Amino acid sequence: MRRKGMPIDKEISEKRKRQCLKLVEISKDIVRQAFDRFRPEELGITWTGGKDSGLTLWIIHQVCQDKGISLPKTMIIGEGDEFEEIEQFVERTKKEWNVPLEICRNEDVLKAANNTLNASIEVKALNERNRAELQRIGFEDDEFPFEAESYVGNHLMKTVVFNQFLERNKIKGIFQGLRWDEHPARFNDEYFEHKEGEYLAPDHTRIRPILHFTEKDLWDTYAAFQIPYCVLYERGYRSLGARTTSQISVEGIPAWEQDLENTEERVGRRQDKEKAMERMRKLGYM
Amino acid sequence: MVEVISTGCQRGIPGNVEMPLGVERLPNGNTLITDAGDEAGFGSEIVEVDPLGNIVWNYHEGLRFAHTGRRLRNGNTLITDTTNNRLVELTPDKKIVMNSDHWSGGTGQLSDGSHLHYPNEAFEMEDGTFLLTDRNNDRCIQVDREGKVLWSFGGKELHHPHNANPLQNGNILISDSDGNRILEINRRQEVVWSYGDGSTQILWWPRGAIRLENGNTVITDSKNHRIIEVSPAGKVLWRFQTEHVDKFYITHATKEATFLIACTDGHHQVIEVDRTGNIVWLFRNYRRPVSIYARLTNGFFKEIGENGWPKHWVLATRLSEGGGSVVWDQDHKPNPCPGLEYDRSGALFLQQSLMVTPGATYRVGAEIKTASAKGTACLHLDFFDSHGGSLYHAITEMPSGNLFTGTNDWTHDMFETKVPIRTTFAELRLYINDSGKVFIRNVMMNRI
Repeated sequence: MRRKGMPIDKEISEKRKRQCLKLVEISKDIVRQAFDRFRPEELGITWTGGKDSGLTLWIIHQVCQDKGISLPKTMIIGEGDEFEEIEQFVERTKKEWNVPLEICRNEDVLKAANNTLNASIEVKALNERNRAELQRIGFEDDEFPFEAESYVGNHLMKTVVFNQFLERNKIKGIFQGLRWDEHPARFNDEYFEHKEGEYLAPDHTRIRPILHFTEKDLWDTYAAFQIPYCVLYERGYRSLGARTTSQISVEGIPAWEQDLENTEERVGRRQDKEKAMERMRKLGYM
Repeated sequence: MVEVISTGCQRGIPGNVEMPLGVERLPNGNTLITDAGDEAGFGSEIVEVDPLGNIVWNYHEGLRFAHTGRRLRNGNTLITDTTNNRLVELTPDKKIVMNSDHWSGGTGQLSDGSHLHYPNEAFEMEDGTFLLTDRNNDRCIQVDREGKVLWSFGGKELHHPHNANPLQNGNILISDSDGNRILEINRRQEVVWSYGDGSTQILWWPRGAIRLENGNTVITDSKNHRIIEVSPAGKVLWRFQTEHVDKFYITHATKEATFLIACTDGHHQVIEVDRTGNIVWLFRNYRRPVSIYARLTNGFFKEIGENGWPKHWVLATRLSEGGGSVVWDQDHKPNPCPGLEYDRSGALFLQQSLMVTPGATYRVGAEIKTASAKGTACLHLDFFDSHGGSLYHAITEMPSGNLFTGTNDWTHDMFETKVPIRTTFAELRLYINDSGKVFIRNVMMNRI
C-alpha cells in the first residue's frame, strides 16, 4: 500500500508532463523576475498548507535551489481553527525544504476570545492596533463573535496579521498562490500587483506565479513531479480553509479524481447559483 | 461624521430626465420624451423639448414609471402610466379627458373583464382607437376610449411584450421581449414574418421594432445593447452600438432618416443618430438626485431616516412594479435591523452610492438572513461610467456575494472585487426578486 500523502497515484502521459513543465517554467520565470526586482530579504511567501500555496512554494524552492540561495521568509496564518493534518504536513515540509517559517497569529484577539471559537470578544478588551483596525473597516458594535470567516474575523485574523508580517520584516514583495480559475473575482488578477501603502497597510507588491494553472493543471503537475500535498485532499476536500468551515466536496474521492472542470471548487450555497442566475436574467431592462 | 463627495440634487424636479423610456419626433420638430423617473420612483414625466433643448411643455401629475407619451392627431397626449396600470389622455392644457381607471363605472375593467397590468406602449390607430401592449397580461390589444377590446393577440404566444405598432399594410409589429423575438401579425392573428429564434445571441429582450419605408425592420435589441436593421429575409444590414454599455429602450425613425433613441438610465439621455452612426442631436438634463458617499455610511443601521428607511440608504423601487417596502426587525439586538419585503415579479433594492478607486480591490461583507425567499436575495455591487451608466450588460455580471433562496438564519457573506478602470462610482445594493423577506446587518466595505 502506498504511503499516504504522496505521490499521487495517477498516470500522467509524457505529453501532459511536457505541458505541465511548460506551466511550471512560466511560473519560475515570474519568480526569477521577482528576485531581479527585490533582494531576497525583501521577499516573503504566504503559505497555508493548501494545494495552491504548496505548488507556489515548491516552484520558489526550485528557483532558490538553482540560485543557491535559501527560501525567503515564509508566513502561515494561524486562525485558531486549524486542521491537525495541515499542521503535520506543514511541519514535515518545513523540515524537508528548510522553510524559514513564521506562524503568525493575532495573539491579542485569540487571548480576548480565550482561544474559543464563537466566544464573544469585547472591542474594549483589544489592544490599540486592533481597535484602530476595527474603526478602519467601519465596525460599529461593541462586541463580535470569534469566527475567522466573518468580515471582522477575516480582517483581524488574516489581513492585519498579513500586514504586520510585511511591516515586521520590511517585506516589499510577497508571493501568493492565487489562480485565475479558482474564483470569478480572480479573473483580472495580474502576476505583479503593486499595492500602495495606506493607513495601517504597508506599501508592497503581490506576486502570483501560478495564476495560469487551472485546478486540473495543478493536480496533474502535483502528480507529474511528485510534489507533496496534505492528506486531506485524498479524502475528498478540494479547497481547504478553516477546519470548521471547510467541507468535503465528494466523500472519499481524491480531489484530483473529481470532476474538476464542471463543478465548483468551493462547496457551499453557490450550488444553486445557476438557477438563481436564470431568474435574475429575466429582470426587466437590467 | 458623514463624508459626502456629491450631495446630489432633489428628487422629482420637473425637467430632470432620469430615465427616458419613450421618444418621438413631433411634426413641429420638437421631441416628446417620456421619463420614467428616478430609482426611488420620483420624477416620472412627459417633456416636450424644442430643437434647442428648451423644455416647452411637460406633465408629471401622479405618473409612476410612465413608459410612453404619444402626441395624438387631436393634439392631446396619450400616456401609458405603467406602474399605475392605466392609460390616460391629456389635453395640451393638461386636463385628463380619458382615464382607463374610469372604465366600467370606475373599476378600470375592460370589456373582456380584465384589467390593464403594466401597460408599456400605446399607439393611435387610423380610426382613433388605441393599440397597446399590456405587458404583464402577455398580450397586445386594441381598445377604444371606453375600454372596449376590439382585437387582442397574446396568451401563450407572447412573453412580456413591450411594443406593438400598426403597419401600413394593416398588420401589427410586436416586440415579444421575453420571447426574444419580433413578430408581424395579421388581423387574423397569423404570424406573417418574424425575426429571432428565441436565443439571446440573435435578439435579447428586444424592446421595440419599427418598419421602415424601405421594408426593413429596425429593432432595439435592448440587452445586446444595439440597434439593428434587418431585411425582410432576416439579414442584418446595419448596426448601431456605442463603446459604452448603452441601455437602448426604444428607437423612433424621423423624417430625416435619423433615429431617435431613448437610452434609459444607462446614460440618462436621448440621442439622435444618423446612418453613419454619428450622434446629430442629443438631449440630456440629468442631475443625480442622490448623494455619493466617500465611504460606506450607516452600514450598521444605527440611524433611521424620517422616511423609515435606514439613513443614507435608498429604497429603489424602479423594477418593483409598484410593490415592496423596507421592514425592520425590531427584536434584533443591539438595535433593529432593516430588511426588504417583496411580493411580486420584478425586483427591489436597498442601496447606497459610494466613491471607489478604479483598479483597487475592495472587500464587501455583511450578514444576511432570509425568510421564505421564493426568488433570490443577494448583496451586489454595480459600477458606473462617467455618464452614470452601469458598466455591466446584465445584473448577473455584477460582482455579488452568495445568492440566498428560501429561509436562512444569519449568514456571513463576503466577496472581493477589483474596481474596473472606467468606474466613477459604485452602488452597493441589497437585492431581492420574487417574494419573501431579506434582512441585513453589519455591512462593511473596505479597500484591501
